[in-house]
Amino acid sequence: MSAVGASQLGDESRARLAALADVLIPGGDGLPSAGDADVAGQWIDRALGANPDLVDTVVHVLTIAGAPEDVIADLRLHHRDVFDRFAFAVGGAYFMNTPVRRALGYPGTAPRRLPAAEGEAEYYLEDDILSPVISRGPVYRHVPA
Amino acid sequence: MGGGTSGGVAARHLAEAGFKVVCLEQGTWVDPGDLPGNKPEYELLGSKNWHPSPNLRGRREDYPVDTTEADLPVWMYNGVGGSSVLYGAIWARALPSDFRVRTLDGVADDWPLTYDELLPYYQAVEREMAVSGVAGNPAYPPGYEPPLPAAPIHRTGRRMAEGMNRLGWHWWPGTNAIPTVNRGHEGKCVRYGICRMGCPEGAKSSTDVTHWRDAVALGAEVITRARVARVTLDERGRANGAVYLRDGVEHFQAASVVLMAAGGIGTPRLLLMSASDRFPDGLANSSGQVGKRLMLHPYGASVGVYDDDLENWLGPAGEHIGSMQFYETDTARGFVRGAKWSLLPIAGPLEAVEKWTDKGSMRGEDFWGEGSAARMKSFVRMLQWHVVPEDLPEETNFVSLHPSLTDSDGLPAAKVHYRVSDNTRKIVDFNLERSLEAHAAAGAGDTWIAGRNFMTGHNTGTARMGDDPATSVVDRFGRTHDVPNLYVIDASVFTTSTGVNPTATICALAKRTASHIASNAREQEISS
Repeated sequence: MSAVGASQLGDESRARLAALADVLIPGGDGLPSAGDADVAGQWIDRALGANPDLVDTVVHVLTIAGAPEDVIADLRLHHRDVFDRFAFAVGGAYFMNTPVRRALGYPGTAPRRLPAAEGEAEYYLEDDILSPVISRGPVYRHVPA
Repeated sequence: MGGGTSGGVAARHLAEAGFKVVCLEQGTWVDPGDLPGNKPEYELLGSKNWHPSPNLRGRREDYPVDTTEADLPVWMYNGVGGSSVLYGAIWARALPSDFRVRTLDGVADDWPLTYDELLPYYQAVEREMAVSGVAGNPAYPPGYEPPLPAAPIHRTGRRMAEGMNRLGWHWWPGTNAIPTVNRGHEGKCVRYGICRMGCPEGAKSSTDVTHWRDAVALGAEVITRARVARVTLDERGRANGAVYLRDGVEHFQAASVVLMAAGGIGTPRLLLMSASDRFPDGLANSSGQVGKRLMLHPYGASVGVYDDDLENWLGPAGEHIGSMQFYETDTARGFVRGAKWSLLPIAGPLEAVEKWTDKGSMRGEDFWGEGSAARMKSFVRMLQWHVVPEDLPEETNFVSLHPSLTDSDGLPAAKVHYRVSDNTRKIVDFNLERSLEAHAAAGAGDTWIAGRNFMTGHNTGTARMGDDPATSVVDRFGRTHDVPNLYVIDASVFTTSTGVNPTATICALAKRTASHIASNAREQEISS
């Protein structure tokens, strides 16, 4: 783990992170960009807190000079492992944002308790959907004694 | 040696039978409150502290596994409950043909026991592991009745089942070691869909929940953070205990009978570390087979994108449905043996991203950047098949002691030498192609192969079971040929890997060996 933890990112670093993250996640189709989803704020802190192994990669990428599009393109082309880890950290932060999760169709801020309702198992097997399988008979291989 | 899946089954059985049981476990108990599945960071926590790779977790109790000469990562969990803490809980008995591959297909070796001999032990552990499912699966001989009712197959399973019916292919509602009613220490499944990160509800049958708590209540002792350095012998060559390290201090635990339950990597590692003047090549290794014939299950995965929201994040995970359509050998396909398929939930958006970014993905487009929003919007409309191929034993695939890398106690790490065989690759290729046809039949507009060789926790075969002491490590009851009071009860003993998830067979074999020990205690040779 880096000595520079996520919570120590200054305003300048966070602004840089937002710009780089926007290249990866520009938004659209009802989804915010990474910057608008506050990836560079609370979410990157939580992401790196959950997986400290990603800190060094994020800090390293923030030190690379150049236009955000060029930096990301160069990483994608020449430093794929760094690109993949940086994208994983940014994506992990983005997908914790509750409005993003809702827009994607996930139930709330985290997996929720959704126990099966009475009769739900039977409901999905209605209309004799298993009948063709049963009527075809055994599919296992008989083994001589 | 080892407080995992097989150890739990055996410890509870032996404690119930009145034996004094002591377990040496290098890890600790899992606090369900620590498990990530109901936290916003769940997928990121699952990429570090709760990742199934010991190398990525990197905890004190995780010994390193060098996979630089392996085609895929090797997964396990070190702690009470073992890999069952992080498994998906898909419960699949092996099939009768799995025990007779030499007779039927002319490859590998027959097991020294049959499906029918193992059947009562399958049935016993299915009750202990709270297995849920629908009776009458025609992929198995008659009489397969999971003890608990099945979970819903959900709209995911329904959609795919309709496609499978169009093709005339076998499918069946998922059979999982996940309770659908409250029982014992376990709650009813609440369908978080994150089973492979451990269940924070205690509603997945990992043996820390289903067996070890009962075993301890019956008097068994679990010594955690106890890293075994070597199994020891008395002057007659009987196993008489183990030397272990705890907080850097060496201890000795005496035993009349020793059971190895450290898994398909850990058990050969320990046996090789226990070399002595009597066994210079490793304990119980007169055959030279300890560590050899490592079989993994190099998974393949395919996905399809559908028009409607399928709520593919809903559990159990576990499988919603499974298929054995292409399990049995058909030599016209150009290979022997086959694969089981499982239709699995996708636990969250980061797992969905992997369908593009996995090194084995055939999607052919980057995920991130322009257009990523549209790709994200497809996440919950995806279905995924996992293909589990049978992996036949090869002498060139094996586990050895690492010459320089060590664990946190200075003991040798494991090194895995593993290449996917031509037959296994053909099984995976064929089945992935068929799975794309299944997606298409179910109405997917877009389908692709999403991964190969991306995981396995199914580490089998490294202390092979057989009748001949010259070519196998243990006999048909798991007793080592070389040491009459030393048993191996984990997946190391698998003669062949089968093409199904191994936990059912691991548990049944452990139950059978424990029953054998309990029933034959008077004849059992013990250490002096």
